[in-house]
Amino acid sequence: MDINELKNKFQELMEKVSDKKTLADLELKFLGRRGEINDLLKKIKDLAAEEKIAGGKLINDLKKEIEQKIIIKKKDLLVAGQDLIKRIDVTAPGSRVVSGHLHPRTQVLRKIEEIFISLGFSVIEGPEVETQWYNFEALNIPKDHPARDMQDTFYVKNPAGQEDLVLRTHTSPNQVRFMEKNNPPLRIIVPGKVFRNEATDATHDFQFYQVEGLMVDKHISVANFKAVMEEFFKRLYGPGAKIRLRPSYFPFTEPSFEVDLFCVFCQGKGCRLCSNTGWIEIAGAGMVNQFVFESAGYVRNEWQGFAFGIGFERIVMAKHKISDIRLFSSGDMRFLKQF
Amino acid sequence: MKFSYNWLKDYLEKIPEPQQLADVLTMRIFEVEEVKKAGDDFLLDIKILPNRAVDCMSHLGIAREIAAITKTKFKEPIGQINESHDKKTSDYLAVEVKEKKLCPRYSGRVVLNIKVGESPEWLKNKLETCGLRPINNIVDITNFVMLETGQPLHAFDLDKISDGKIIVRRAKKGEKIITLDEGRAERELNDNILVIADKAKPIAIAGIKGGRGTEIETNTKNIIIEAANFEAVNIRKSSKALNLRTDASIRFENRPDINLTLPALERCAMLVKEIAGGEIAEGAVDVAATAVKPWNVGVEHDYIESLLGVKLASGDIMDIFEILALPAEIIKKDKSIFYEILAPTRRSDLQTAEDLIEEIGRFYGYENIKPVLPNCLLIPALKDEQLIYVDKIKSMMQGFGYSEVYNYSFISEDDKEFYGLADLAEVLNPYSRDQKYLRPNLAVGFIKNIQENKPYLAGSRFVNALRLFEIGDVFFEGGDKIVETRKFGGLLFMENKKSGEAFYELKGVVETLFDKLGLSDVWEDDYIQGGLPINFKNILQIGKVSQIKIGDKAIGWLGKINEDILERLEIKGRVAIFEINFTDIISFINEEREYEPPSKFPAITRDLAVLSSEDTKVENILNVIEGAGGGLLDDVNIFDIYENDKEDIKSFAFHLVFQSYEKNLTDSEVNKLMEKIIKAIEDEGWEVKK
Repeated sequence: MDINELKNKFQELMEKVSDKKTLADLELKFLGRRGEINDLLKKIKDLAAEEKIAGGKLINDLKKEIEQKIIIKKKDLLVAGQDLIKRIDVTAPGSRVVSGHLHPRTQVLRKIEEIFISLGFSVIEGPEVETQWYNFEALNIPKDHPARDMQDTFYVKNPAGQEDLVLRTHTSPNQVRFMEKNNPPLRIIVPGKVFRNEATDATHDFQFYQVEGLMVDKHISVANFKAVMEEFFKRLYGPGAKIRLRPSYFPFTEPSFEVDLFCVFCQGKGCRLCSNTGWIEIAGAGMVNQFVFESAGYVRNEWQGFAFGIGFERIVMAKHKISDIRLFSSGDMRFLKQF
Repeated sequence: MKFSYNWLKDYLEKIPEPQQLADVLTMRIFEVEEVKKAGDDFLLDIKILPNRAVDCMSHLGIAREIAAITKTKFKEPIGQINESHDKKTSDYLAVEVKEKKLCPRYSGRVVLNIKVGESPEWLKNKLETCGLRPINNIVDITNFVMLETGQPLHAFDLDKISDGKIIVRRAKKGEKIITLDEGRAERELNDNILVIADKAKPIAIAGIKGGRGTEIETNTKNIIIEAANFEAVNIRKSSKALNLRTDASIRFENRPDINLTLPALERCAMLVKEIAGGEIAEGAVDVAATAVKPWNVGVEHDYIESLLGVKLASGDIMDIFEILALPAEIIKKDKSIFYEILAPTRRSDLQTAEDLIEEIGRFYGYENIKPVLPNCLLIPALKDEQLIYVDKIKSMMQGFGYSEVYNYSFISEDDKEFYGLADLAEVLNPYSRDQKYLRPNLAVGFIKNIQENKPYLAGSRFVNALRLFEIGDVFFEGGDKIVETRKFGGLLFMENKKSGEAFYELKGVVETLFDKLGLSDVWEDDYIQGGLPINFKNILQIGKVSQIKIGDKAIGWLGKINEDILERLEIKGRVAIFEINFTDIISFINEEREYEPPSKFPAITRDLAVLSSEDTKVENILNVIEGAGGGLLDDVNIFDIYENDKEDIKSFAFHLVFQSYEKNLTDSEVNKLMEKIIKAIEDEGWEVKK
């Protein structure tokens, strides 16, 4: 039998192969120890030296070719064979992995902290039960002043008898607390729980979160404040985020502003989230009143700074389109598990 | 406060369309919360901020601002007062102010022979747009002048005041007055409340509300008009004490201009004569304790630029002072430029350099200030150590399958009684019954979480448990202080699980967490000295609770919720909680670790089953095994505990790992150690299953 004949015979048989078994038989028939290739090799032993070399090469080439084809066929059969094995029902639910959820407050707070830390702001904390001095007087909100009505306050009974304790109505007491112990230049944010003694509805709760910010140095300006706020909101909501400042009044800042965020949802067209104004009121802010520096023990007019208080839930609500602020303190798993 | 668009228009040469006006006011001074059509007019609800309540709770005040913002001409209402020359006010009215501090100014005028009736339409419309109910022409005019100028006024029936003598004095304790408010309630006064009285009795609560006895009625002929100035703090306190806030009291709380009384009186008297006829008696009675004159406020040019962060020309700054009608001059000293303005007495908000900078800032326009990133020293940003671990622990708990809650910091009186809580921090003015006290632990909140979530747990294929955690502050009265401490707690509620499972899962969570935080020497103590503390006594089940300790320091509790409580709350299932003092954990955390290379030699393992009486603890047996096993016993794990309640028998199965770090152990060496261990166990009276 010559080489071409053998090759044709292999091709013919190969085309009929449709399962692993016939392939294995074919492999044995051609490549086995007593297979056709070896037979052929035995036959050329008797040929003349030159023919032996040429013939041997041809046989070896054929052997390699057959080996290759068998490997390819094996792979093909393997792939095709998958149709035959018992399949997994991929539509059945996966086994239960117990998964926990971080509260959306925590998730957004982490993001906020990360942004401010990268801008050089340290993160500190303060107490929730606060003295009236830190919460009001030190911040230029004297007793019996109408400015106290801006924040409805929970008073806490002091067992020592004085009438001096409140649940902090804002995180601003920490401006003075921090400055009493630290000298400028300084940059801090203070996240924390705050309390307001008022009726609740979808946008008001008696307990919520604020992030206080304070930056003090020799020449801090409104322009600096705008830049820091813009940077913050761009990083939080993307490069398209825009803010605007409006005049406002807080006893502990002068000048004072409201910070409005251009509504990220309706692009200013007006929607439910921005009460159809195109802007979401997101923070109160201003240049630190010199009175506050004096409360902290600094010399008047030696320092300049800005301070802000971001209504934290508002950011989370805007980010996740949450419609009711009371969900944050509800412990309702149907809410929590979505985050 | 509500403003009438048409009314504002009266004082301005030009006025923008209502919505446009709202927009410019919002960007330059106050937020306009609502613009609404009201008949032929528009109502603007403007949020007056406290620092400008002194002059802007009035149509004139807002019109002045609009004039400045839109650079249009402001037109003050003018008119010539036409007084009677044969009748003098002082012949009819005498005023004695006994409390000069509480009433720094009292001015009055008299109008005779007026005719009380209904107000003309224009007057009624304006009041109604602003939310006031028309009463009669005299009362309406006093209200109109208040809304116009910001000065509260009050009209008395002159003939009902004995001897025409008005006395401003403190009320006597227990003195009574029927006020003119809707309820016409008789109010009992205290001696901090200032009253307007005649010789006999109080006729008005100063600065708050008039009294019934001297009110203007259809047959009233002669009137006294009062325009006074009362001390703000006292008005505020009295108004709170009486629970009576009025348009007048709100204005007095905000310290209106003391120089406003006479012009307002004059305006009022003129309108009375115009609308109700009569004769204006000549002159006014004016008792003033102190005179307030315009004052100077200065600011340095460089400071304006530095605080706003913009470059400004002197001319631009002077222009802003001019449109605000603030007389100003430039003062040059050496190389510095200063501005000095003369603040009109209505602008008591202008006291400091920063107050002037605010005026310049808002008229320059905050939108025109270009953002500039601060140029400053590099300070390394740090995070409170506590907060770093708060984050770490939260992430770990999430990994363990627990979800985070932020529960309310308040609890109710019912909670206090139900759980037998004590030493609670008390809220003095709760808004609702749920806010009577501050929470002394996280547990009460967790139990509420079970109740709230219970209806939604059933029916879902995979949810048969509730795993929650919280890190938050709790409060209690400790001696003469309110103590605020941070707690870290967890809850595991399992429906239909066998006894102990919730406890041991939660214990496992705590142990793993502590291990990851590098807390060593943590153990569970079931001997609780002095019993459970009061705020856990009724919550945790005695006998099913352990005190978590690090070394000698007790840091918290782990245990099952009292069956009685679960029954009363109809919670069916297993509930375990833990609650740990957060700051204690922080003080013990040690995250330093040293790598220990594993042994190069194979380990040999043996299993051991021990039977004991029911009261034997795992720890007792472990101690015996470890003691007898010595250094080659590398690890002992318990893999089964079985309690046979009927026979009071407990069986334990241990897995023992023997390991040398120096050589290959032989079976016979291990067998010898096993014999030693078994003997030690049997010496204790326990049985080894062979």
